[in-house]
Amino acid sequence: MGQLFAVEIIYRGVFQKTLAKNITRGIVLAAHNEGKLGISFGRYGDSPERNGIPAKSFAIVASDAQTLEAGMAQYEPKQVDVTVVLDDTLCKGAESWAWYGLHPVHQALKPGGTLIVDSLQDAPTLLKGIHRRQEPYKLGIVKGVTSFSGMWVYKDDHTDVRILGAIAKALPAVVSLASIEKFINEKLKNPLKATSAHTTFERFTSMNVKPGEGNAEEPFSFQLPKWNNMRKGVSVNGQPQGGPYADPVTKEVGGFRPVRNDKFKKYSTRTMRPVVNFETCTKCTLCWLNCPDASFDVTPDGKYDANLEACCGCGICEAVCPVPNCITMVAETAFDGNASQWEAFRKDKAAYKEWLKATVQPAGERSHGFRYRGQYKEQIPAVLEIAEKG
Amino acid sequence: MSTFVEEKPTQKLESFKGVKKVPHEEYYTSGHRTCQGCESAQIMKLMAKAAGPRTIVLGSTGCMYVANTSYYATPWGVPWMHTQLGSSGSAALGAAAAFRAQMRKGAMKDEPINVIAFCGDGGGADMGLGAISATMTHPDYNLLILMYDNESYANTDIQISGTSPYGVNTSFSTPGKVKRIMHHRWKKNMAPLMLVGHPTCKYVGTISTSYPLQAMNSVRKALSIGGPTFIHCLNPCPKGWDFDPVLSFELGELAVNTGIWPLYEVENGVLKLYGKTEKIANGQFKRLPVRDYLLKQGRFAHFIDEDIEYFQSKIDEMWNKWLVPGIIPLRREIEADEPR
Repeated sequence: MGQLFAVEIIYRGVFQKTLAKNITRGIVLAAHNEGKLGISFGRYGDSPERNGIPAKSFAIVASDAQTLEAGMAQYEPKQVDVTVVLDDTLCKGAESWAWYGLHPVHQALKPGGTLIVDSLQDAPTLLKGIHRRQEPYKLGIVKGVTSFSGMWVYKDDHTDVRILGAIAKALPAVVSLASIEKFINEKLKNPLKATSAHTTFERFTSMNVKPGEGNAEEPFSFQLPKWNNMRKGVSVNGQPQGGPYADPVTKEVGGFRPVRNDKFKKYSTRTMRPVVNFETCTKCTLCWLNCPDASFDVTPDGKYDANLEACCGCGICEAVCPVPNCITMVAETAFDGNASQWEAFRKDKAAYKEWLKATVQPAGERSHGFRYRGQYKEQIPAVLEIAEKG
Repeated sequence: MSTFVEEKPTQKLESFKGVKKVPHEEYYTSGHRTCQGCESAQIMKLMAKAAGPRTIVLGSTGCMYVANTSYYATPWGVPWMHTQLGSSGSAALGAAAAFRAQMRKGAMKDEPINVIAFCGDGGGADMGLGAISATMTHPDYNLLILMYDNESYANTDIQISGTSPYGVNTSFSTPGKVKRIMHHRWKKNMAPLMLVGHPTCKYVGTISTSYPLQAMNSVRKALSIGGPTFIHCLNPCPKGWDFDPVLSFELGELAVNTGIWPLYEVENGVLKLYGKTEKIANGQFKRLPVRDYLLKQGRFAHFIDEDIEYFQSKIDEMWNKWLVPGIIPLRREIEADEPR
């Protein structure tokens, strides 16, 4: 048996589908330049993809055909040499479409393997989100603005080749920079992209993450029910009706909190979360009524509190809210945990106000896909500039 | 004179008089695995809320089956059952008939139970059309068929359906260098098809999730009026239409304001336009250019001005030349009256 390498890409479903495919395809085609064989494929359980829901794509590279066949004999690589995370908000864990519970991003990473994250954050900030584990690994950051586009229009902001450059540095045995440059020049025919790959290769460094370092939180998991747990007629229980709940301060009971599915939380789909200014809320109902995920609790005092275990961060509430700056979508990297904002507000209004100010004000525009024609063209120069500065 | 039609009473569901009167109870809650900003999930939520607890829902294959109810994951708070892709009509009719038989035999309490079958545009406008049509001709059974329309087979990654709009980019109509427009069929006009083709059907309506109160009231009317009824809902799809999910609501509004998606209901043969559509029809509101709607979606990114103009001309035709503007494509002899 020869050598076998596996690289996995964890990405935002649909938003980064083309990007992930371009990277895994790039790995395989570049490795061909060294006489290696490979295959790139998406995780079956993630298909059909949904916007934002974490998904995986793989590239397997082998030194010979027999080794590749042996590698392909499994459903998906159980252990990978490199894990690439294309959106830093995924560092808090990924709950895939395939209904596995929340997995730490390094779940499949071999001891000593490299975790590459595309991010503007630094390593200590990312490690607040990345779960701790027993085996050491390396963490490297490709500094860049998260690349989001959609099903049909691709934002070609060089993220694909920059990741390829980082992979060549992290694991030259899978593919060398020279092979990647050859692939870019011959197949993509874009010398500028070859330069981007080269620059990232030069700059990319990784740090050692020691056992036990990182987020101490236990990732959300559940016991997968068996078929024989089903009821007569192969049916399952529906969701029971919700009801009123208590104000943490006055203990007054009121409002309404729907019961929520306890096996699929959806919050790891979120890249932004709604931050609510309860003082300006006029109780108009629109956020609650228009939320496709029924994620708003009606509070005992008649306001609307986004339940952050159910919210997937689409931003419709912000769009329909008639009060300026009452609901603001803020990038998920600014938060830990899913605690209720309304409860924090009820417990200490002054502190909440301060927190609100600190959280909402620096919230920059976060592009979440196609808004108008020409948008990507406008965005790319700024993104490339950040990439160039490193 | 006996008609031999065996009608059964329905639940009397009054219209909600305002958003503040909408009940808090959710019968379709969190836990579905749809996209961010999924308006199809939103109409499921509104539909279940409007119908209330004494309801069963049957769902044909599509996003709202696969993303909602694979294995143990479910957001449903009312009984729900899957039915085959093309069989929402037969499933609804069969369920209504089964209830009647069970009640007649005393196997269950005799009470009106809402029967709703939903289908996507693929399941409804394409595969299930025959079965829905047959169901619409059965006056004895009270049921609602709700078609949620995201203008493609969105679950399986966006293939053309009978309701895909002209020129759209899908997995089956990728624009090419030589041939830019790979889909040149016009969207199937489903609600009027149901309406004109089934004279005994008492309620046909179109709704949009961007007008949630009207959408819920439409569902309540359809369930209360008796007999088989049909509702067609347009649902902007962030995945297949390729837009930032934050725009889901706005695109639903734009579809109405540009005149692409007229809102109306036909109750016992009486047509009533509502919302902006009514204002467009009586001249109080000028239709927005379809350009505003098309350029916000990646699926139309390959359109050049010529294509947008053609799209606009078809919408203009719909409003200026159709006998019932925006709805029924019979022509008025307008050219004869106004020679150019």
